[in-house]
Amino acid sequence: MSLSLTVDGPRWRAHLESVADAHPGIVPVAKGNGYGFTLGRLARKAQWLAERGHDVRTLAVGTYDELPEVAQRWHGDLLVLTPWRPWVPLPEPALSRRLVHTVSRVGDLRDLLHADPSARIVLERMTSMRRHGMAARELWEAGELLRKHPGARIEGLALHLPLGQGTHLGEVTRLMNDFVAAEVPAHGAPDVWVSHLTDAELATLRSQYGDFGFRPRIGTGLWLGDRGALRVTATVLDVHPVERGDAFGYRGRTAPKSGHVLVVSGGTAHGIGLEAPTGDQSMKARAATIARGGMDAVGFVRSPYSIDGKQRLFAEPPHMQASMLFVPHGARVPEVGEDVDVRVRYTATTFDRITVTT
Amino acid sequence: MPSVRPISPTEHRDYLATLPSASFLQTPGWGKVKSEWRSESLGWFDDEGKQVGVALVLYRQLPRLKRFLAYLPEGPVIDWADDDLAAWLDPMVAHLRKQGAFAVRIGPPVVTRRWTTAQVKEGIADADVRLLSQIPPAERNPIGARTVAQLHELGWRHQGVEGGFAAGQPQFVFQVPLRHADGTQRTEDEVLKGMNQLWRRNIKKAAKEGVEVATGSREDLKAFHELYVHTAERDHFTPRPLRYFETMYDALRADGEERFTLWMGRHEGDLVASTIAIRVGEHAWYSYGASSTEKREVRGSNAVQWAMIRDAIAAGAAVYDLRGITETLDADDPHVGLIQFKVGTGGEAVEHAGEWDLPVNRALYKAFQVYLARRG
Repeated sequence: MSLSLTVDGPRWRAHLESVADAHPGIVPVAKGNGYGFTLGRLARKAQWLAERGHDVRTLAVGTYDELPEVAQRWHGDLLVLTPWRPWVPLPEPALSRRLVHTVSRVGDLRDLLHADPSARIVLERMTSMRRHGMAARELWEAGELLRKHPGARIEGLALHLPLGQGTHLGEVTRLMNDFVAAEVPAHGAPDVWVSHLTDAELATLRSQYGDFGFRPRIGTGLWLGDRGALRVTATVLDVHPVERGDAFGYRGRTAPKSGHVLVVSGGTAHGIGLEAPTGDQSMKARAATIARGGMDAVGFVRSPYSIDGKQRLFAEPPHMQASMLFVPHGARVPEVGEDVDVRVRYTATTFDRITVTT
Repeated sequence: MPSVRPISPTEHRDYLATLPSASFLQTPGWGKVKSEWRSESLGWFDDEGKQVGVALVLYRQLPRLKRFLAYLPEGPVIDWADDDLAAWLDPMVAHLRKQGAFAVRIGPPVVTRRWTTAQVKEGIADADVRLLSQIPPAERNPIGARTVAQLHELGWRHQGVEGGFAAGQPQFVFQVPLRHADGTQRTEDEVLKGMNQLWRRNIKKAAKEGVEVATGSREDLKAFHELYVHTAERDHFTPRPLRYFETMYDALRADGEERFTLWMGRHEGDLVASTIAIRVGEHAWYSYGASSTEKREVRGSNAVQWAMIRDAIAAGAAVYDLRGITETLDADDPHVGLIQFKVGTGGEAVEHAGEWDLPVNRALYKAFQVYLARRG
């Protein structure tokens, strides 16, 4: 009766361990919908990795609001990726000690040090992404401020790099130079918290900056890196034969030809049929997005459900918890209770049930 | 914001005398050495008219055009620790543009990284380490980092070099500190103890074999030059003519006698090694060297080096500078022998910010790059 994620446990765990092995100092990222797995499960998995002896010391969450979901299930340090702002209340002391704040403005650094002089802090440097972060001179100013606060615990530098687009090495080198220029008082070797670097880029940086630590933040590549270990299925809830011209559905659509209308689990509440931007900017991809968006204007559009390996059309836009598909005459009609495969964007999908096989 | 105007060689010399040291490539005498380039002395002045900086500019003409590359080797001599380098560089660039410069090339004399002798030695021994940059430095210098950050910010372009020597001044040099961290002078004995066993043994051996080291006169330049041409043939580099060294002798010594010293190492009357030392204030350089192929066993080169180092200590110098090394630590690279020789002195590898270009006329600058690339 549900939209289910079935995880091949041994295969998935082997993948998690191989990623953790290949990336010492890895900072697993558990944010948003927990990449489909839920935040709680990811926190427990990170704890499991640490207990298995992998070099996992810090778990990253996206926002301060996500902390309660993970704080009991993961026992190590916690990094919040969204930069701290003055209106964010500080957690109670027990959690504070484990918490590493991202700070992206000099004013915020001043405020945070005032609120908690012993706060653990990662300074974020603006990258070519231009989202959050300090410019070079702001970082120098931060360094000056920190030299007056020797008690502050600076854990290093955070860089949020754009995806792909050639090598990041030149940019990272320049941004790290700005950190050197800032003369941030050191408590041991500073760490550079980075995302979206290839393994080769990381290896080069580790070699050129042996006096820094590197903490690769990895979400997608860790949790979703082995898609073969994951299977998403929906249950066929009902099957109705239709003839050409028969009306059905909320909107009284008519069948274009004879076949079957299937009611399957999974709807807008799960994220089915909600288009998450793919980031693919080719003309073809944009045309496809427009076509999908206009589905209720003309005809049927492709659904993420597939039966016997063939993707089927939506008979009408998805409902809240179920969707209607059209199976034309001649194809095999699945039975009620049968499972069909669904292709989803994990970061935009909520599953009714997650089963991890042992 | 300081203003910039041309100054006389005397004003230039007098200002340098107020500083602990500056690169010899920024002295007025150096302009005379580079006689094929037009040269100009520039001064920076604050609002009260007090001089606060100086530069030697070399203008190199583009073929067939009245346009120049304005080159300030290891300069300008300004306050590089200032967070507002634009205030220093902008009026300079404005002046150079008026002089017909299509591009400006500078070499900020700031240190970015340092490595100890032990680190360099470990790097050479480690097969995985090919470049100095692959070893965490003993020091990353914040002033150097700020200079680099600001030059990027201001649109200057780093003239990168990988592996071998660049066309311009070397970014990596090897230096023996002659002072302790607290500023006191190191003794000869302390410097000697910092050297590796081979160097110490060779210095001792040269003394035992009776190598005698003395300073030479202008007339001795001829003997130096003969040995230098011999060295060039053996080590496969193109020698400069005798006239170049005579000009250098005259021009640098006109600024001060310590600016140029010729050293001669003789064994039973035979010249076995000869070098040129340069000193500006607290900074002493080993500039040119020549050695005989015969009688290598008497270790004339080590003897002359030791004499130069002792002389620098006696003069109260802070640094003995063996000049350029390549970044390579690859044991198979032909350049590594040079580093190994210099490392034996027990000094440190020092990285400077390197050379930076600012295109003033983009089209001409591009054409110039193409011309340089073709020339190889």
